[in-house]
Amino acid sequence: MPFQIAWRILTYQKGRTALATGGIFIAILLIFVELGFFVAVPQGGMLIYDHMRFDLLVCSDKYLFQTSPGQFPRARLTTVARVADVAQASPVYLGPAMWQDAKGGVRLDSLVLGFDPHSRVFAVPDIESQVAVLERPDTVLVDSTTRSLFGPLTAGRLIDLNGHKVTIGGSYTLGTGFLGLGVSIADEANFFRIFRGRPAAETVNLGLVTLKPGADPAAVAKALRATLPADTQVFTRSELTTREVSYWTTRTATGLIFGSGLVVSFVVGIMVLYQTLATQITRQLPQFATLKAMGYTNRFLDAIVLVEAFLIMLIGFVPALVAALGVYALVRRQTLLPLDLSLPQLGMVFAITLVMAGASAFLSLGGLRRAAPADVF
Amino acid sequence: MVKTSETAVRFGSSRFVPLALRNLLSNKARLARSSAGIAFAVLLMLVQLGFERGFFDASLATVRQLDGDLFIFNASKYRVMNHDPFAHRYLNTAAGVAGVASATPLFGAWQDFFWKDPAGDQTYLVQAFGFDPDHPAFLLSDVKDDAGRLKQQDAVIVDRRARAFLHMDTDAKETEINGHAVHIAGRFTLGPDFMSDGTVMMSEQTFARLLPGNRDNAAALPVDIGIVKLRAGENPAQVRDALRAALPAELRIMDKAELVAFERSFQADLSSAGPIFLMGTVVGFVVGMLISYQIIYTDLSDQLPQYATLKGMGYNTGYLVRVVMEQAALSALAGYIPAWLLCLVVYRVIGTIALLPLHMTVGLTLLSLGLTIGMCLISAGLAIRRVIRADPAEVF
Repeated sequence: MPFQIAWRILTYQKGRTALATGGIFIAILLIFVELGFFVAVPQGGMLIYDHMRFDLLVCSDKYLFQTSPGQFPRARLTTVARVADVAQASPVYLGPAMWQDAKGGVRLDSLVLGFDPHSRVFAVPDIESQVAVLERPDTVLVDSTTRSLFGPLTAGRLIDLNGHKVTIGGSYTLGTGFLGLGVSIADEANFFRIFRGRPAAETVNLGLVTLKPGADPAAVAKALRATLPADTQVFTRSELTTREVSYWTTRTATGLIFGSGLVVSFVVGIMVLYQTLATQITRQLPQFATLKAMGYTNRFLDAIVLVEAFLIMLIGFVPALVAALGVYALVRRQTLLPLDLSLPQLGMVFAITLVMAGASAFLSLGGLRRAAPADVF
Repeated sequence: MVKTSETAVRFGSSRFVPLALRNLLSNKARLARSSAGIAFAVLLMLVQLGFERGFFDASLATVRQLDGDLFIFNASKYRVMNHDPFAHRYLNTAAGVAGVASATPLFGAWQDFFWKDPAGDQTYLVQAFGFDPDHPAFLLSDVKDDAGRLKQQDAVIVDRRARAFLHMDTDAKETEINGHAVHIAGRFTLGPDFMSDGTVMMSEQTFARLLPGNRDNAAALPVDIGIVKLRAGENPAQVRDALRAALPAELRIMDKAELVAFERSFQADLSSAGPIFLMGTVVGFVVGMLISYQIIYTDLSDQLPQYATLKGMGYNTGYLVRVVMEQAALSALAGYIPAWLLCLVVYRVIGTIALLPLHMTVGLTLLSLGLTIGMCLISAGLAIRRVIRADPAEVF
């Protein structure tokens, strides 16, 4: 019964209902978009790790985050490989390289990742299918999201990395995330030709450890910590995620800006929700007063208001979700930020709007109680 | 509701009735709710616009603080603040050009200087600059004042506005950079940007000593930016032409304004800050438009009999339109003022947490006020058709 009356009230003046729904739509969209940006920052930070195969990460005790990882001796990985349940321990090297077209022009800051292609550390199809290309001398693969400033990423183009001529062998799709404006990968031999004078045995940045099937990562991590000297540390995947997410959201300007943007948009979104629902209910006071005069109880009217608030909210929520997905796709294309919406985030926004609809309805009930049939006309 | 008789008496005039204002004030609860709705939309726009400006202000702060008339750097540089140095000897050439008072080097490092947290063990990458203490490279008054102390070996000055985890703002006097003990001889206020968390400055000798590879001879270090000061009364354009003739084509010469524009265009092209914050501002505008449309539409519906009465009394449509527009502009103001005040607090809080330079400026105030009034007038324009159609005979 309350549902039918609420529905009739909403459909009675369709224009106004559409207006209220519009306000709610935009408020929910705002929350979705800001939440998306906020979540994109740590996702951008995790992009590289999300595309690597490993169960444990061994790194220097100086490790801060991916592009400030510190270095440790390669011998540590030999130690790691001897520990029970360890299947493989592969080194990954990171190096900043100045990128310039072979014919000259601007010199750009780029990042090169060095690794053994046969260790299969990257879970990226384009990389796995181009192992033979990586093994050609003085050849690199370039991330396809490298900025256009770097020029065409066509195979065969000759470029200069740190003063060393290399050929672009092809590209792969992973995303540069927060690694830099341009990222390329090379096999170890090519990497150390680009970074001449860098001792391979002493300058490993990341040690990616895979375990034998069925092994418990936490237990092996404990064993590794007991074995390795204090110059290295060991993270399980979840420890690494916690660490990186907290780094990107609390220590970087980007994370802090989107974090505060999210708080502001939450407050604004919630206020708009309340404002819209309250206006909607207030203007229907005469109708409610009439119902009261007809003998309907206060509880019944409360139920109508609640149902009405939830209905408007739901009608606004669905298109807002669709529009948010559209905005995410647009932003992904324009900014290369890995904007994605997970189910928990979706649930969170839905829960917030539900709570808000309920709260606005309750706040408006006071006015409803006062609705005296004789006064409203 | 328009309480015409009462308020006309109170205002003491029956000829001019500030109808728009009275309409707005007639229902205080509704006014509070509608102002709050508009205020939050305005706040959203102000915060997004502030972020956009703050992003550029933070990114350009270091470049804007450079103290020189002309700047020489490698033509292959794609931005000012990256390491792409040129040979020191070209500065000697530049110093010999007529009209040049001094041509001094600025050494920069963005990937090589690791600062040890004086309150802990962790080391962090920082931005580092080395210059001649007799020619401080930056305008910052603290840098000018403390430059003399940098002549002492291994003395550095640090940014007290650096990110908190670097602990550069404490009273600590000693720490390490790249494993060398350094003495903290002073502090300046610059703030972090999107590349670096903190900045240290030192003499060119100390810079050379601390640099990995430990080259003790600063004169052999390649230079990131050559800072040229002109003799008093010299024409910058002429000196620049002379420098261009004396220096090889691989070097570029810019004045301060061009240098800032160069860094700005890099930031604008490469970062997504512009489009992201523009989108936020547009969302704020649309939210505000919807809210004010809703308010005006509801008001007009409620007051339709009054408007129809006015029409019946002989007021023309133009007058009614003006009243509605005035009312829209007034409700824009009613929302704008609290939002502007609240925004000062929000800027302060976010600026402190994120170390982002967020400042309310006259330009920002005018822009946001224009947007606010614009959004309210647009929605009033959309809602007004109802009043124009109001037929005195039908509304009762």
